[in-house]
Formats: sequence, structure tokens, C-alpha cells
Amino acid sequence: MRRGNGFDRKVADALQRITAAALGPYQSAVVRIGFAGAWLCFLLRELPHRQELYGPDSPWAWDMARRLVAGNDAFTVLVWGDGVLWFECVYALSVASSLLLMLGWRTRAMSALFMVGVLSLQNRSIFMGDGGDNVIHLMALYLVFTRCAQVWSLDARRAARAARAEDGAASRDRTGPVLWCLLGFGLLVGTFLSLSHRPGLFVPLLLWVLWLAQGLWWAVSRYAARSQPHTLLDVIANLVHNTALVVIMAEVCVIYATAGWYKVQGSRWQDGTALYYPLKLDYFTPWPALSELLAASGTMVMLLTYGTVIVQVAFPFTLFNRRVKNVLLVVMMVEHAAIAVVLGLPFFSLAMIAADAVFLPTAFLVWLGAAAARGRARLRPRGRSREAPRQHEQHTAHRTLVG
Amino acid sequence: MGTGRMDSFEREDAGAGGPSPGNAPVRDSVPEHLPRQTRQTAQPWSPSEPGSPEPGSPEPGSPAGSGSSSGPGHRLQPAGPPQAPAPLGRPGDEGPLGDGDSGSRGRGIAGLSLPYQVAAALSLALIGALACVHLGMVFLHVAPSNTVTKQHGEAVDWWVYPEFEQNWKLFAPNPLQQNVAVQVRAEYTAADGSRRSTDWIDLSAEDGAAIQGSLLPSHVHQNMLRRAWDFYVTSHDGDNRPNGVRGQLSERYVRRIAVARLMERDLGGPVERIQLRSATSAVDPPGWSDEKIEVKPVHRVLPWWTITAADLPEDAARDRAEAER
Repeated sequence: MRRGNGFDRKVADALQRITAAALGPYQSAVVRIGFAGAWLCFLLRELPHRQELYGPDSPWAWDMARRLVAGNDAFTVLVWGDGVLWFECVYALSVASSLLLMLGWRTRAMSALFMVGVLSLQNRSIFMGDGGDNVIHLMALYLVFTRCAQVWSLDARRAARAARAEDGAASRDRTGPVLWCLLGFGLLVGTFLSLSHRPGLFVPLLLWVLWLAQGLWWAVSRYAARSQPHTLLDVIANLVHNTALVVIMAEVCVIYATAGWYKVQGSRWQDGTALYYPLKLDYFTPWPALSELLAASGTMVMLLTYGTVIVQVAFPFTLFNRRVKNVLLVVMMVEHAAIAVVLGLPFFSLAMIAADAVFLPTAFLVWLGAAAARGRARLRPRGRSREAPRQHEQHTAHRTLVG
Repeated sequence: MGTGRMDSFEREDAGAGGPSPGNAPVRDSVPEHLPRQTRQTAQPWSPSEPGSPEPGSPEPGSPAGSGSSSGPGHRLQPAGPPQAPAPLGRPGDEGPLGDGDSGSRGRGIAGLSLPYQVAAALSLALIGALACVHLGMVFLHVAPSNTVTKQHGEAVDWWVYPEFEQNWKLFAPNPLQQNVAVQVRAEYTAADGSRRSTDWIDLSAEDGAAIQGSLLPSHVHQNMLRRAWDFYVTSHDGDNRPNGVRGQLSERYVRRIAVARLMERDLGGPVERIQLRSATSAVDPPGWSDEKIEVKPVHRVLPWWTITAADLPEDAARDRAEAER
């Protein structure tokens, strides 16, 4: 009987925990910053090549893309028009939304726009991408379900200010509703534009649900704050966030498990020479001398080959042990950093590191945030004068809020 | 059956990095780093740090926590998430959050009355079920063909395509062990009106040259031609017959890439026809191995293609049309 009670209690506690808060605020924030940053860097790097990659006159011409997309229902707003101007707008929108998502400005809206940008460009020219694009594509979809701006974001800063300024601050926010109306208008126009193309339903439906949910959340927060419906919506949002985070973590495990288990079956990974071959592929040797150096020692290649397979196969299982997981995490991040340079896959590596980051320990992320803030303060000493009062302000705020 | 979008890194070369070094020394640095950092700032809650997004008891957000340790530290998280619902929602803790946080008293399911609790429970069931199905489908999608996928492959494809398609066989099961160079030669009309043809021009070598010494290689050089050729090969049979729409698209694609590349150099007249071939040469076996391989490259030669306006970049097509008029 008593045992039963204990179990009930545990279930109740767990339920309360996953419904009362969006867990992993730092992890979701670092994933947001990582992927938005990776895509932003990619777009900026490809700025000179953007026409060739995704423009209407790319070798993968607009009508070819349209024909392929008609067959597979992939979502891309770029098939709606073949004008250069339209393309430039979409590219610019993708740059802007990834920047703003990285900064955490109106995060939920930006995450939706980010997703539209990523999907539109990638689905427009699917044969331009590689593994890095694939991870970004998936994470862009998953990120819209998360409350990823709880920390390290302009949204969080605004919220903290509003909290300090007591009530009434919320009602002064005009930007949110205006943005919502604009996006609703855009969505409506987009829906009509896309009707003639008979697109897949999934993404448009998702966007409409997001838009409606944001409107509902705003209305309930404003007119019925602290009511039961308000709490229910909060509970649902937390559930969605927490589930999405689990899916993101599972996705990372799927990536490593797939990469690892298929390697186990390969003869080259078994005889310990696999790593030698990519180092000899013309498309993956930006620094031939460096590749040569790495490929020179048979023992070293064998150790790295085996090490890679072991780490990839083992990773999902190490999640049950925090310490081992952290060690492996560092190993994998270093490995990806090395891949970035040696094989010339910087954006793939950046994306994978961002994905790995979902498993970073909270304490480390908090420390990282503090270190980044310290570094910034040191870099901009003149900002300090402004800094000091604000810091003070914050401390008093803590006192009223918590202490 | 790749119906769709990212039949990306088809086959082993995978297009994306298979991992490489990851190395022992790193291991030493870890215990030094992480725990120290942990001690440094996060003492208050380090014991329960759960490692993954699950900041356990003390929601890390609590500004109190960070405030206690590092002084000038947190400009970056100035808000320190105002939301600090420790284990259970703390009464009086109001934290309007960026993307939506309730300022309500009782948070979580415990703060709801029965009918709302039922609604919350139903949402939980629905969301949980969706996530489970999704992960199951993704698993089946990346798993090798098996009993379940043979029976329910269509359902899996329906769920996964087009937006959740993925392929993580990075350099697996075996890494690509040959360099595939795509080469082109062209027939053009010279200034004196005669037909001339060029030597084979190695487009892949141009890509390689662009990649070399670059910290940030562009997709234009690293992926475009390489994947286009892959696309062509997988959508044609040995006699260069296209299979379906994808085959036709891939032909036009490689043709357009080649023509665009040819236009970058001045041949001395408009290109009339082009011919493509691939030269596949095996990577030399490592010095420490006693394997022997065929050193001569293997060629796959495509038929001559006449260039039409559809193969040209738009402005060039316009010019040509005007010239012909």
C-alpha cells in the first residue's frame, strides 16, 4: 500500500515537473543559437554564390526545381515565383530571421520564419546540400516547438525588464501584436499563392497552428491571466517543449547510432584503414599536406578509425552515465572541429556541434554564459559605466523577486 | 526508394563528413575542465546537475543562483530566466517570459481544476503518442530494410517524406575509395566559322583547386557537380538511359552545370555540342598496406549533347536567340 503511494507520488511529481516548466532552458537556448548561427554563417558565406545555388537561374533551374517539388510535396516558397526579386527577398528574410532567432528576438515567430527560410532554400535545390544541411533542416522543424528563449535572448531580457517595471508593461507591447498581424497577413497571402501549386499540407498547417496558438496565448495572457485556461495553455506549451527536446536528443542519438552501426559493417572500418580514404578524396582535402600527415601513420589511422566507431556506437548508451557522457561529448566536439578543418566541412561540423550541445551540462552552460558576459564586459570597458547601475538594479530586482 | 528531397549523400561518400580524429589527449582535459567549471559557478546546484536538459531540482534559471557566484557576470542572461519554478511553481514567482510564460500562481498540472486536468492529461497523451510515433518512424526510416519496413514501408515513407528525410550513413558502411572526376569537352564555332573542339577539361579539378586552402569551402565547389554527377549516375542505367523524370532532370542538370562552367572561359565561339565523361581512379592504397589496385582511371563517356537555349543561363540564352535572329 505504502509502496503504491510512493509510486503514485513519483508519477505525480514527474507529471508536475514536465507540465510546470519548460525544462533545459540553457540547452534549448544553446541549440537555438547554434543552429541559427550555423545557418546564418552559411548564408553569409554563400552570399556571392547565392544565385548559383538557389537563384532562379541556377544550373538547377527554377522549372526543374518546380517539377521535382511537384512530385515530392516538399515545402518551398521559392517555387511560387521565378523572379530574381522574390528570390532575393526570401534569401534576405532567411538571413534576417536566423540573426533574430540567434538573438532571441520574438523567438517563436522567428523560429517559424527560420524554418520557412531553411526549408525554402534547401528544398529549392536539394542536390546542393550535404549532411550539415540535413541536420539544420530537421532542427529547424523541431525548434519551432520549443520555448528556446528562456535565457540568453532579447525576449528574456525584455521579460525581466517588464517584470521589474511591474504590471502595465505587458500592455505597452505593441510590437508583438503588430508582428502577429503582419505574419498572419503573410500567411494568408502565402496560402493563396500556394494554392495553385498544390503543396504538401504539413508545413502550411503547422504554420497556421503556430499562428493561431500565438494569438490565443496572447489573448488569454492579456485578458485572463492566471485563469485556468491560461495555466492549461502554459501546461501544453511546456509539454510540447519538453517533448520536442526529447525528440531533438533522440534525433542526435539516431544520427550517431546510424553512423556508427553502419560503419561496423564496413570492411574498411574493420581493417582500420577507413579514415585514410576520405583524406585522399579531392573533394575533401582542403589542406593536402595536413591530410598527408594524418594519413602517414598506419597505427594512428587505425586508432582514429576504431575510436570513431566506438564513440559513435557508444554515445547513446553513455547517456545513462553523466560523467562518461560528458567525456564523450568533448571527444565528439573536438572530432567535429577537426573534421571542419581537415575535410573542409565547416558548416556540417558547426551544425553537429550545435546538435551535440543539447547534451551539455547545465552547470557548464551557466559558466559559459557568465564567461561570455565577462569577456564582453572586458572588451567594452566604456560600456561599464552603463553596466554598473543595471547590475545593481538587477540585484535589487532579485531581492524583491526572490528574497 | 528515395522519393524525394535529400536523397543527398546517396551511397557511401555521403557528402558529409564522416568523423575523423577524436583523440585520446582530449580525455585528460575533460575532468580538469568540466568539474572545475562546475565548482566555480554553479556550486549551488551542481550536485544534481542531470547532464541533459533536465535541470533537475533547481531550475537553473533562478537568478538567485547565478547572482550568488559571479559578480559582473551575467549581462548575457540579465534576465536570468525570471521563471524560477523550482521543483514546484513557487507562489508569487512571476515571470513573464519571452516566448510565453505564465505569470500564474499555480503552475503545472497541479494548479488546474479537474476538468482542466483531464484536458492536460489528454494533451499529454496526444503529444506523447505523436512523439513516439515520430521517433519510431524515423528509426524505421534509417534502419536497414527489415520485416516491419517490408510490410509498412509505405506508412513510414508517408510520415517521413519529404521533410524528415535523413541519411546518416556518413562514410559508411565504407568510405568512398575513388576519386570521380567529371570532365567535359566542347565543340564550338570559331571566329572563322569552322567547327573546333576542345580537349577534355577537368571540372572536378577546378573544384578541387577552389577547395584547396579554403577554410570555408563553398557548396558550389564541394557539392554541386559532385552530387549532380551522383544524381545522374543513380538515375540512369549503364547505357545512359534515363529512368523517368529524375533521369531527364539529372541530364539537364549536369549539362547546365557544364555549360555554365564553359561560359566562364572564353573558348572563342559559341558552344554547339558538349560531351561529358567521368574518370574514376581508385585511391592509392596506404603505404603500409600490401594491397594492389588498378591504377588506370576508368572512364564513363556520355554521348554528345547538342546545346539548346534551355541549357544556357538566361542572359546567354537571350543573347544567342538574338544572334540567331
